[in-house]
Amino acid sequence: MLELAALLPLGAPALPLDEAGKYVAGAYVVFVVLLLVYVAIMAAKLGRIERDLGEVAAIAEERKETQVAPGREAEEAAPHG
Amino acid sequence: MYGKGLKPLSIATVAMLALSLSLVFFYAPLDADQGFVQKIFYIHVPLAIVALVGFVVGGIFAIAHLRTDNRKWDAYSYVSIHLSVIFGVAVLITGGIWAKASWGHWWVWDEPTLVSFLIVFLLYATYYPFRYAIEDRDRQARYASVFAITAGAFVPLNFMAVRMAESLVHPRTFATAEGGMPGEMLLTFLCMLVAIGLLWTTLVKFELTAKSASGQVKRLRRALDAPVSGASSRIAPEVS
Repeated sequence: MLELAALLPLGAPALPLDEAGKYVAGAYVVFVVLLLVYVAIMAAKLGRIERDLGEVAAIAEERKETQVAPGREAEEAAPHG
Repeated sequence: MYGKGLKPLSIATVAMLALSLSLVFFYAPLDADQGFVQKIFYIHVPLAIVALVGFVVGGIFAIAHLRTDNRKWDAYSYVSIHLSVIFGVAVLITGGIWAKASWGHWWVWDEPTLVSFLIVFLLYATYYPFRYAIEDRDRQARYASVFAITAGAFVPLNFMAVRMAESLVHPRTFATAEGGMPGEMLLTFLCMLVAIGLLWTTLVKFELTAKSASGQVKRLRRALDAPVSGASSRIAPEVS
């Protein structure tokens, strides 16, 4: 208890602005940095989703073309007129 | 659709954060004891409150998951806990900085408020390896929900125990017999609390939207019989 009592800033003057400012800035910067790191990670994840979606779209288009192609061949092979 | 309403929510969060930070630095008076250092209070305490409430909310979603067996609620629970753990990291770091400025020490082991928060944080830090240890997705979701409910119930009990404990150095936010904060400080604090709460909600919604998009791409791949690319997370629940 005495050890804790020694920590109390009772009677001690508040830290001067130039010294306190560093701590306050540090605390708010930590908050902003954590937020930015989180947003950066989420941005990387969204980039991966976009890439995956592009791949899936390419596969779907490829399949559509291969399904359409036999029909076209038959059409071309049929006698005209 | 998890993304519905995300845009107005994001705008409200940014506006509220800007307003609250303006109040912190240009409106709230300097504390008579601590002076300018006390400004850390306006970020540290709301983060701690929102993180703890987020853990409880994660437990409530877990109850919904066990009751309905709908995987959506497991995803809600996972994301709530995930965001609260990130906020918890911010609480521990900002608290350490404030402690160093006020008490001259980064950490005080005899202080119940600090140690109890660390215990809660470490408890939730085990949530990830716990999920990772279970291969089967259904079992993983069920066990994670049980964990989230148990740990979520522990949070308010822990909070009450700390409130009842005799604290010597850590201040009480809504003090007691001597009266609370002055009006300007209280208004600033409440605005910051709302802003941090909105931030948590926005990030939860944002992460759920990303998970939903990822889950739908996987569904599309399966429908097309295409190989699933990349290493999918074994612990993050899939939502669609």
